Amino acid sequence: MALTLNNLFVLWYERKVKNHQTQLDFQQSILPIRLQEMEAIKTETLDRLSLKKAQLLLPHDLDKTVKSEYAQEVYNEAINKVEQKFYWRNRALNQTILRQKEKSQDWSLEEPKYLQKQKELDEKKKAALANVEEEFQVLRAKAASINPIEIEKKIQAKMTAVEERFVAKAKAMTEKANKNIAHHKALLERYHKILLDINKNKETYALDEKVVLKLEDLSMHFGGLKAVDQLSFEVKEGEIFGLIGPNGAGKTTVFNCITRFYRPTGGKMYFRNNLNEVVKLNDIVVHNIIKEGIVRTFQNVEMIWELNVTENLLVAAHTLYRSTFFGHVLNSRLLRREEIVMRSKVAKILEDLDLSAYAYSYPLGLPYGILKKIELARTLMVNPKLIILDEPAAGLNDAETENLAETIKKIQKEYNATIFLVEHDMGLVMNICDTVCAVSFGKKLAIGTPKEIQSSKAVRDAYLGGE
Amino acid sequence: MTYKSEMKQLRKQRWHSVKNHPYFGFLIIVFLMFAVQLLRLMGVDVPVAVLRAFGSTMIFTIIALGFSILLGYGGLASLGTAGFVGLGAYFVVYFTNQLGLSIFLTIIAVVIGAIILGTVVGFISLRIEGMYLAIITLGLSEILNEVFKRATDITGGTTGEGIDGIILFKNVLSLSHNTIFIFISIFLFFIMVLTMNIMKSPTGRALLAMRNSSSAAQAMGVSIFRYRLLAFIVSTVYAMLAGVLYMSYWSFTIPSTWTLGFSLNILAAVIVGGSQSIYGIILGTFMIFGLDLAVFKQIDFFVNNPAITIVLNGVLIIVVVMFYPGGLIRLVQTLGVKLKILIQKLKKKWRDYKYGIDAE
Repeated sequence: MALTLNNLFVLWYERKVKNHQTQLDFQQSILPIRLQEMEAIKTETLDRLSLKKAQLLLPHDLDKTVKSEYAQEVYNEAINKVEQKFYWRNRALNQTILRQKEKSQDWSLEEPKYLQKQKELDEKKKAALANVEEEFQVLRAKAASINPIEIEKKIQAKMTAVEERFVAKAKAMTEKANKNIAHHKALLERYHKILLDINKNKETYALDEKVVLKLEDLSMHFGGLKAVDQLSFEVKEGEIFGLIGPNGAGKTTVFNCITRFYRPTGGKMYFRNNLNEVVKLNDIVVHNIIKEGIVRTFQNVEMIWELNVTENLLVAAHTLYRSTFFGHVLNSRLLRREEIVMRSKVAKILEDLDLSAYAYSYPLGLPYGILKKIELARTLMVNPKLIILDEPAAGLNDAETENLAETIKKIQKEYNATIFLVEHDMGLVMNICDTVCAVSFGKKLAIGTPKEIQSSKAVRDAYLGGE
Repeated sequence: MTYKSEMKQLRKQRWHSVKNHPYFGFLIIVFLMFAVQLLRLMGVDVPVAVLRAFGSTMIFTIIALGFSILLGYGGLASLGTAGFVGLGAYFVVYFTNQLGLSIFLTIIAVVIGAIILGTVVGFISLRIEGMYLAIITLGLSEILNEVFKRATDITGGTTGEGIDGIILFKNVLSLSHNTIFIFISIFLFFIMVLTMNIMKSPTGRALLAMRNSSSAAQAMGVSIFRYRLLAFIVSTVYAMLAGVLYMSYWSFTIPSTWTLGFSLNILAAVIVGGSQSIYGIILGTFMIFGLDLAVFKQIDFFVNNPAITIVLNGVLIIVVVMFYPGGLIRLVQTLGVKLKILIQKLKKKWRDYKYGIDAE
């Protein structure tokens, strides 16, 4: 893209659009969490008030017969404390007696001493209980000076005030959030319009509707080796697309070209991104691919071994954070709220994929099947449009493969993602894929439904060797 | 559970959350470091060497913290630390002696200088990995060292240059050697808090992702270029700020301090302590820079045989690196866990003796 004034404007507004989009998502997801938080604070305040009421009313409730639940508890606790204390002292004494019995030569001489001690202990217990009773008598005497109706009224008024305050707060918060959301929506529309206006000269690419990814004559040469040679195909929205081929057919190279780890020698790649715009993938830098909505996994799991599973997923949400480096250094309020949003999202995804048990364990030492699933979970953090799986079933046993197939289908359904995978396990491919493309030595052999591929002669020749 | 005990638990939890607040430990560490100085001010006869040991541990901890972000989080090895620290120190000399400006202005200038220098080094690091990066940064440090030796007008050449004391506001107040300790303590506390924030934030996670698997990091939207630059800038800013503190504490510097040996000492402190733990780094720095002055120099035997202390220090480092690759902090953690288990066992034994074994 040439550096003209117009293009600079376009970049500026595109940045703004993205910014407002993330703000919109953030505002929508933070509101329920903040309301929940407030509900918790409210119940805590109310609990504390009711406790205070019970404490104030305590002498009255203890009057003659114990009336309220709280008074009952206080009474029981006081009695219980004494009982417990003497239970342990008794036990200690018994233990001493046992020990002395073993030691002494003539137990009958020493026995009276210990019997006396036991008696003393019983008397002490009785005295302590009487003491407690006396204390309660003193409390009861205070009842005359208390007006329970007044206290009840006072606390009730406070409680209603608290509730009203929280209702008002929640209302204000919701209103503010809605206002913010409306504001961002309006701005988004405005910037979209402006972009359309000034962007007339921009090269637009056409893709058939329902096509997510289109490769046109993609070639990748390493020196003289043609790893991918004039390959072209289309991936439709919402399908599971499988790419198969013998070893060294250039399948992973195709992936690396799409995710821009490699710079393709020739050909074009188009993609319909999250905003429903068609972009040319050749123009995008590797770390910006995820922002368009393409996420990938790796053939040999690439975990961040020094972070636990939750944090691994949070790394995948890296592009969603709106707080800047200075916000991170100062642990700003925005960052703390964003962390809450992201962590709740992580928890939801882990629950969906039955990984909750591993949320805080470190990936090192987990079974390979679980690691593969965690990598899958990691792709879901950014609401991707296209998920690219590089040999998801490699190194898994049959049960794990079956589980994986179910998970992939679940993701396709629940997260509305298109899935594009490379696989050696023919069982898995034929089982879950809607469309299969076979390649050999970088060239397309056949494309079609799994059945068509199974009956294709070219594919059979490539795998088993033809004449 | 009864209502009353529930409220009790709530109160307990609150205290727990204060006690377990991440900054609480930093406060205690800084206070412990400061307590040495406080004892001296109260009239207790604390040897000057011990004081110096704690002072330099505090200052060099700041450098080591920056280095841990670079090495422990970013996975980038650098041997240029000494040059940057020296540059920070000479900034103070120049600003105080020649310009007569306040220390706060010096700090601002140092931060700006560090950002520029860090960007330059970061750019150099983009295409270079591992050992080669270390050698290149070493070269940069040596260039700086040579400049310190030659620019005699500002640095005083190989004989060194000193300042009379730092200026807080223009000719208003010069801090004495004792009170500067407070300044350094507060500074260290804030630096620890900021480092902790960086390590726990998305930035820290992105740096770790880059160190563990650069391809995974890129696939998840982490720009390698940006984060390498960031790691270098942060560590350079830390190093140069530590240079400012060094100068305000010691008031004198010579170029021969800022050579490869110093950089290697910082590297050793980070590796020995545990490259990803703030507490570990404090331990490691104390072991490398403070142990000799604060402990060995206080024992007559070692004072008479000074060569042994160096050997002993070396042996300690070898033992730690061999048996605890995670650093000294791992050792402390395992010892803590073992101690806890031991205490529990003893408690149970005592209980069984006194009350008899439970029926179940």
